[in-house]
Amino acid sequence: MKSTRAIEPWVLEPLERFVVEAGARLTLVMTPSGQVIAQHGFARAVDVMAAAALGAGIIASTSELARMLEQAPFSALNQKGESHGIFLSGFDSVRGQMLVLVVYGAESSVGLVQLFFEELVEELRAAAPPPPEHRAVLAADFERDLNESLATLFR
Amino acid sequence: MSLVNFTTREITCKIVYYGPGRSGKTTNLQYVYQRVPEERRGRMVSLATHTDRTLFFDFLPIELGTISGFTTRFQLYTVPGQVYYNATRKLVLQGADGVVFVGDSQARQLDENITSLQNLQHNLLEQGIDVRTVPLVLQYNKQDLPRDLILTVDELDDQLNFRSVPSVPAAAVSGTGVFETLKAISESVLRKLSEEPPQ
Repeated sequence: MKSTRAIEPWVLEPLERFVVEAGARLTLVMTPSGQVIAQHGFARAVDVMAAAALGAGIIASTSELARMLEQAPFSALNQKGESHGIFLSGFDSVRGQMLVLVVYGAESSVGLVQLFFEELVEELRAAAPPPPEHRAVLAADFERDLNESLATLFR
Repeated sequence: MSLVNFTTREITCKIVYYGPGRSGKTTNLQYVYQRVPEERRGRMVSLATHTDRTLFFDFLPIELGTISGFTTRFQLYTVPGQVYYNATRKLVLQGADGVVFVGDSQARQLDENITSLQNLQHNLLEQGIDVRTVPLVLQYNKQDLPRDLILTVDELDDQLNFRSVPSVPAAAVSGTGVFETLKAISESVLRKLSEEPPQ
């Protein structure tokens, strides 16, 4: 069953359309440090948080290699396996750099993913609102909640 | 940077365990993985060499619980400690909300601790972050070794703790101090989220 999750709601519509059109199994939109902003697809196919951390690590390391070669970052990276392929790329937006990890199966192809990825980037750039203003998130007395939560974490 | 979802009331923070080679960074994460209930943690990923030295990073997501009405998740990372791997260390440090510096308490490792702390400062500065402002906790690991081989907490504080941040004596292999360290960095990181920005 396909599942959807979005920390930033404006990502969702373009993301869902992309997954359908590109025939992707799972697509993650994430920050350069590997935090998932939105996901759509068969989330059980991979451990989403681990996949995001690894994907961000791959992009960070290939970007660094590009920098060492004194060229612009590689636009995308594709790996095709027996049953699944992965496509990784990044783009700039008013919300800063964002990364996309696409997992696709035999019913799709890297060509199809690349074709609709360009549309996805355009739509996300158009939909991205400016970054929210920084404000206090937690109550000043958060320590009590934290202590209670940690006590149940390490029993 | 912490990711905050006001709609679903979720917070995700990135914590990086930093320090010289073989100081016990991976051991900290392994202990957390073993002790935290399965429903409160994700898969632990280790990108290591065939001799179990960290090559790129270890990664462990945990769910702290509900803090001020927000489901709070921490993503714990380690960096490779050896000097040789500075390029990958810098990549892992990107976007860190807090740093745990795991020092080796052995007297003969003091220079390695100082070099690694200087390296942390340098790598943060490259990202435009002042080491004096990032939430930081020092853990003095291997305090279970014989007394004549190690430095005391006071001696290590004198040498390493220039910011007077929380410092925790530990023996990560048996779990001593691991929880206290996680608690200290959690408080430091979350305190930033409870403060109004300066006008």
